[in-house]
Amino acid sequence: MSQFIPVLQSVVNGEQLAAWEQVEPPLRAQLKEALAPGSVPECVVQPNTPAQLAAVVKQLYQEKGRSLSFGSGSKLHWGGLAQGVQVGISTAQLNQLIDHAAGDLTVTAQAGMRLADLQAHLAQQNQFLPLNPSYGDAATLGGIIATADSGSLRHRYGGVRDLLIGITFVRADGEIAKAGGRVVKNVAGYDLMKLFTGSWGTLGILSEVTFRVYPLPEASKTLVLSGGLEAIARVTQALLASALTPTAVELVAAPTMQQLGQDGLGLVVQFQGLAVALDAQTAQLRQFGQAAGITATVHTDAAEATLWKRLAEQWEAIAPSPALTCKIGVWPNQAAATLAKITALYPSLTYGAIHAGSGLGQLRFDADLPSASSLLDLRRLCEAQGGFLSLLAAPTDLKQQLDPWGYPGNALELMRGIKQQFDPDALLSPGRFVGGI
Amino acid sequence: MLTLNKPSQRDWTPILREFDAILGDSGVIRRKEELLVYECDGLTSYKRRPAVVVLPRTTEQVAAVIQACDRHQVPFVGRGAGTGLSGGALPVEDCVLIVTARMNQILEVDLDNQRVVVQPGVINNWVTQAVSGAGFYYAPDPSSQIICSIGGNVAENSGGVHCLKYGVTVNHVLGLKVVTAAGEIVDLGSKIPEMPGYDLTGVFVGSEGTLGIATEITLRILKAPETIRVLLADFSSVEAAGQTVSDIIGAGIVPGGMEMMDNFSINAVEDVVGTNCYPRDAEAILLIELDGSEVEVDTNTRRVEALCRQNGARNITAASDLEERLTLWKGRKAAFAAMGRISPDYYVQDGVIPRTKLQYVLQEIEALSQKHGYRVANVFHAGDGNLHPLILYNNAIPGELEKVEELGGDILKLCVKVGGSISGEHGIGADKRCYMPEMFSAADLDTMQYIRSVFNPRGLANPGKIFPTPKTCGEAAKSVAADSFPTVERF
Ligand SMILES: Cc1cc2nc3c(=O)[nH]c(=O)nc-3n(C[C@@H](O)[C@H](O)[C@H](O)COP(=O)(O)OP(=O)(O)OC[C@H]3O[C@@H](n4cnc5c(N)ncnc54)[C@H](O)[C@@H]3O)c2cc1C
Ligand SMILES: Cc1cc2nc3c(=O)[nH]c(=O)nc-3n(C[C@H](O)[C@H](O)[C@H](O)COP(=O)(O)OP(=O)(O)OC[C@H]3O[C@@H](n4cnc5c(N)ncnc54)[C@H](O)[C@@H]3O)c2cc1C
Repeated sequence: MSQFIPVLQSVVNGEQLAAWEQVEPPLRAQLKEALAPGSVPECVVQPNTPAQLAAVVKQLYQEKGRSLSFGSGSKLHWGGLAQGVQVGISTAQLNQLIDHAAGDLTVTAQAGMRLADLQAHLAQQNQFLPLNPSYGDAATLGGIIATADSGSLRHRYGGVRDLLIGITFVRADGEIAKAGGRVVKNVAGYDLMKLFTGSWGTLGILSEVTFRVYPLPEASKTLVLSGGLEAIARVTQALLASALTPTAVELVAAPTMQQLGQDGLGLVVQFQGLAVALDAQTAQLRQFGQAAGITATVHTDAAEATLWKRLAEQWEAIAPSPALTCKIGVWPNQAAATLAKITALYPSLTYGAIHAGSGLGQLRFDADLPSASSLLDLRRLCEAQGGFLSLLAAPTDLKQQLDPWGYPGNALELMRGIKQQFDPDALLSPGRFVGGI
Repeated sequence: MLTLNKPSQRDWTPILREFDAILGDSGVIRRKEELLVYECDGLTSYKRRPAVVVLPRTTEQVAAVIQACDRHQVPFVGRGAGTGLSGGALPVEDCVLIVTARMNQILEVDLDNQRVVVQPGVINNWVTQAVSGAGFYYAPDPSSQIICSIGGNVAENSGGVHCLKYGVTVNHVLGLKVVTAAGEIVDLGSKIPEMPGYDLTGVFVGSEGTLGIATEITLRILKAPETIRVLLADFSSVEAAGQTVSDIIGAGIVPGGMEMMDNFSINAVEDVVGTNCYPRDAEAILLIELDGSEVEVDTNTRRVEALCRQNGARNITAASDLEERLTLWKGRKAAFAAMGRISPDYYVQDGVIPRTKLQYVLQEIEALSQKHGYRVANVFHAGDGNLHPLILYNNAIPGELEKVEELGGDILKLCVKVGGSISGEHGIGADKRCYMPEMFSAADLDTMQYIRSVFNPRGLANPGKIFPTPKTCGEAAKSVAADSFPTVERF
């Protein structure tokens, strides 16, 4: 019966390999959320060196075994459903720091390392990787890259793609390949870092990654404003058109603000940098607020950390019943209005936030989840604003009724062509991505 | 100089008839003397006449031209302003050169969303000019910004003085309309980042014209900083200047830009531009640009000045208003041109090293310069470790180019040896393809080819660029020039 366990036993030790029934129930449940119903993998394997990872993938390639890679599994409930997966490959044991070149502002680590562990290392040298993705405590570097999941800091530092400068990965045929390097400026060869960012494990399995890092800011302040749509939109536009340099500018939907004890649409703005410079910046934002009739509250130190934590918790919370979460994009200048509109149309919205600079945002619905057709309406609403709506977490039947991705463009054939080149037998995370890739 | 012309092997009549129909007479250039200016890009040591030059105005015309190339199996090469320094726009044998000079419209300025949509032939600094009235600017600023095109910037993923803090071209491109090498028009990305699907925008940027031609580009613009200050500090040793760079970064300061010039280039610039602002007896100068809010700039100025002094800086000059700042920058921006005045020819190398290896690498470059017997001036983006050694030589002397290329190659190998890269911003093009194996394994290079085979299935878009081929590079990739064009006459 077992086809893959015997071949994998030839490349990993017994304790690195678990038959499906032996996999711990929580992980089993997480994995199931990434899989189309009907079959379960035969086993889960945990290679602990890049060479071993390559050997595992090579064995599977020879046996035409389909696999799903994952880090700690925090986002397995996101994205499309993988089809006919036979083996789960965890990179959780590929968790070594390779090199923190503090003087060069770069860091290289294995892809299964947790972001939180990396940040702890970097902090010793007063540096950090400016990413604050979902499940920041558990998320691994590989998982963050594969889902292109960044947070509010993207306003100042850009997304994952802007920070990733080198990758090593195992191809579908088990060969190890790399692109980029360990220097911040480098144009030699095609930029496969961009290609892998947001590729959901469909092109290869990352083994080692290099990021550009930054000095930790000396001080930090967060201002919270809330009010009516018109006032908030006005303050946001004034802020973005000013020379102020916030690190985060988040528009936050009313139901989410309510959980923080505030009424109306919210604008949460973080300034970080030299302590002496923050007062002038925050004073100016307060003025924009006053001009629109809104008072800003300032949060620092523990109160500031709590504020951001409470926002993250509303997004990440494990609900009693399955929640529905989406990633959206809309034109930045329509972000406030779109968020207000969605709030009015969808009473089950519990969390809504849009990064005001980029127009990317996250929505969460609990309890009475919107139906497939109502989600389609919502998708059209985002598309009318030049954007998109992709489902992250959703009940399996919903993901089967509705294309989770909603790619509105005309380059799908190129994407299929690329998948075909990298993984001709569709062995890596098959079905997880856009257009069934 | 190597001129690579050979008699055409092809009957161009039917192809030209199609081009005429697509573009009209004035959009097709055939006459030899008119083709002359298209023989090379900024890497003037190699020249080859294209068979024909086309000057489209629209995406549809580009697509029609490429479809004709596809039907007739004719290779094509894209060209913007021709300022590239790696032979990216160097014509290949018997090819069509697609020149974007007439695709020079700014299509949309959307200040609310901080986006600008341009055609590829738009010159880099036109973008800033178009939005500066409203207080915005386009961040990537190559020194060639008053002449190079956005299409060329996209193809090379060009950098500039400000990329230390603000990133290179790819960090500012959100979307592209592209005609693939198969002649299909596709939209990659959009005005909003991270559309679902693979980030093909990110892959296309930096692909040096080997995947197709970009015909519309959506750029992100930024709000101009409140305050900008440039500091000029001079040092009596290169080591001291290098240490200062490390100390500034170590102190957690990220300047907008941080540039270094050595004594040789300082004197060349003073000879030619005569700014009288770089002291001729300094072994090195640093130009450090700080930006942000006024308080922030004031504070960082004091901190940077202290670090400079601590490392023995002799004089520090600061400039805040635009004109004074430009005066300080003038010498740096004119550095390449100055070399052209003091030497018959110069070869610009472009390598990257981890910033912390700066002192070691500069010593080694000096040793290589002595060993090969050519003077090397060093001008570089010190903040991100991007070196531009300028090798002075005389192309009229037979054999010099080959020797200079060998020296340039040794410098690249040195960069790779210390953990760096063979190009920070000028691209691989025709010039450096044989050094790709220094950095990448056969598997790495094969994997990159996956992309090319999807966009460019018949290999018609800029063939022979970026990737080494056995034919051009041989096994050892040693004497690149000699091997790459074996049948060529030499002058
Ligand atoms: C419903 C639900 C709720 C949860 N709530 C919480 C919570 O409140 N708090 C919390 O801390 N945790 C929560 N978790 C989960 C948590 O289990 C994880 O521990 C975790 O954070 C790790 O994810 P990851 O970043 O490694 O990405 P993964 O989820 O492991 O992977 C994400 C994607 O990236 C791809 N990928 C991963 N690694 C690689 C690689 N090396 N190369 C290529 N592709 C790769 C995968 O194929 C996958 O498509 C929740 C999980 C579920 C299912
Ligand atoms: C004095 C001087 C200073 C310079 N300083 C810098 C600097 O500071 N930083 C820096 O990065 N570079 C610098 N450069 C190099 C050069 O200016 C850049 O590489 C520039 O981006 C090239 O633009 P171009 O329009 O001249 O492109 P071209 O030289 O015409 O073409 C370059 C490449 O782009 C391709 N291409 C052109 N248009 C398109 C298109 N629409 N679609 C697809 N491919 C296309 C061509 O095929 C070719 O491979 C400098 C050059 C000079 C001469």
